[in-house]
Amino acid sequence: MDVWFVISNTIVLACIYGTLAIGVSITWSSLGFLNLAYGFIFAFSGYGAWLFAQHVSTFGPAVLACGILSGALGGVFVCALAFIPIHDKPNFTIRGLIATLAINLIGTQSLLWWFGPRSKNLPEIFGTWKLSFSGVTLTADRVGNVITSVLMLLLVLRWMRSSRRGLEIRAMMMNPHAASIVGIGVRRTSFYVMAITGALAGLAAVLLSQTYYISPFGGLTPMIKAVSIALCGGLGSVQGAVIAAVVLGLNEALTTVSIGGRYVLITQFLMIILILLVRPRGIAGILDRAREA
Amino acid sequence: MNIIQQDLSQAAHAPLQRREMLKLSGLSAGYGPMRVIHDLDLIVSSGERIGIVGLNGHGKSTLFYAIAGLTGWQRGSIKLNGLEIGRTRSQGPGRYTHQIVRAGLALIPQGDEIFHGLTVEEHLDSGAFTPRSWRERQERKERILQIFPPLKKLMAVPVGRLSGGERRMVSIGRGLMGEASLFLVDEPSLGLAPKIGKNVIDALMALDLGSSAMVIAEQNVSLLEGRVDRILGMHVGKLKGEASAALMLHDHGRA
Repeated sequence: MDVWFVISNTIVLACIYGTLAIGVSITWSSLGFLNLAYGFIFAFSGYGAWLFAQHVSTFGPAVLACGILSGALGGVFVCALAFIPIHDKPNFTIRGLIATLAINLIGTQSLLWWFGPRSKNLPEIFGTWKLSFSGVTLTADRVGNVITSVLMLLLVLRWMRSSRRGLEIRAMMMNPHAASIVGIGVRRTSFYVMAITGALAGLAAVLLSQTYYISPFGGLTPMIKAVSIALCGGLGSVQGAVIAAVVLGLNEALTTVSIGGRYVLITQFLMIILILLVRPRGIAGILDRAREA
Repeated sequence: MNIIQQDLSQAAHAPLQRREMLKLSGLSAGYGPMRVIHDLDLIVSSGERIGIVGLNGHGKSTLFYAIAGLTGWQRGSIKLNGLEIGRTRSQGPGRYTHQIVRAGLALIPQGDEIFHGLTVEEHLDSGAFTPRSWRERQERKERILQIFPPLKKLMAVPVGRLSGGERRMVSIGRGLMGEASLFLVDEPSLGLAPKIGKNVIDALMALDLGSSAMVIAEQNVSLLEGRVDRILGMHVGKLKGEASAALMLHDHGRA
């Protein structure tokens, strides 16, 4: 077993899944909204980037930016369609779950109808260079994946720490009731949240397309993994999501080299069940009184 | 939202004099099938400090929540600084609260309703939601530190680690950060040691209201006695007219 291969795979997977999981986590804890249309946003931004690469330019950073922007757009779309009309109605959590699931199904079918079943692939946005030292070879897409996702996450976290909108989002994550008392509007803040988390999905879509293809249903597995990682890390905790992403990325890399890639989902869910047995609130689960009441 | 903003700018041009800051007429509110506030009328003028006293569960907090649009349902008229913020509604608690808050309401809720992971400084910032108060937030924070000097050392500490008295200071400070024309303070002394509770009330009394008004809900009449302009008694969802503190004490059989 090649240790370096496992380690580099772990890091790459952890970065991509972590990005997605943090998006799920932030949406859940600030809006109380489990966004099951995340898979659609993921595929939608992949196609956005693909269209851009086909018709405008194949310049790597521009394709990446376009993917991120289409993700943000998809997030705003889902917010306007599934969050705004029902967020203050009774039984919102279940309704939101069903609404986003519906958007996911309709959205992915529309993508299938519009673009056809054939997978698309994106240009190599990070180039084709290689780094090799002391027998370890790192390809451009791996290095690029890690650097961009870490950069993007740092940027988002920094924005949430230092800006006024970020303060509003964090306030809403901690106590939605008190947030409305201090004058934070749920509807407006929800658009920021959904745009940001959509952008994270867009980034993950473009990054993952460097290894896999873009297809209408390509968002499903990443979404399931993201939701389970977010759950595993403790919904609402960014640090928890990062730790869970590393643990599950390691699990995926190890499973792939030891018993084969097709068993990944099985070992992953065994792992998640184990973690949730030991820590029912997830790795860093905070006692979320505001939502459990 | 636009209507509220237009009315707000008109209200800002009105001459500065004693005017009705809050006018409730026929206000009823509650949660689901439960009716907590019954056809209530109240007028609070600018510059006025009013105490509302009453036992637990008689609707003091619900009255404040109804004014902020946070109850399950409500009907009747609520005028804040001449602007109608009440509406008949049966769902969507909190949906319009941020607009009402922007129109000049500062609600300092019971039990503090803090953001446990934010630092004291971020907390105070979160109270400054209007563009103007956000620009002036440094000066406003200075002002609040003068009212509550103990907070000075705690500015970088997460609020979840503070003691009850410190949290209350943060919660009140947050309410004072904006440009409110009406302060609703819900049980400021609740759960605090008597001396600290008295300090908090002292700070509220020392505050220069200017043209704004303040309504304080309390269970402990003696803390407000002689220090507010009027004391109203609240009993099963109705205001029992103006009551002097001595009378209230007599009513409660504590005299």
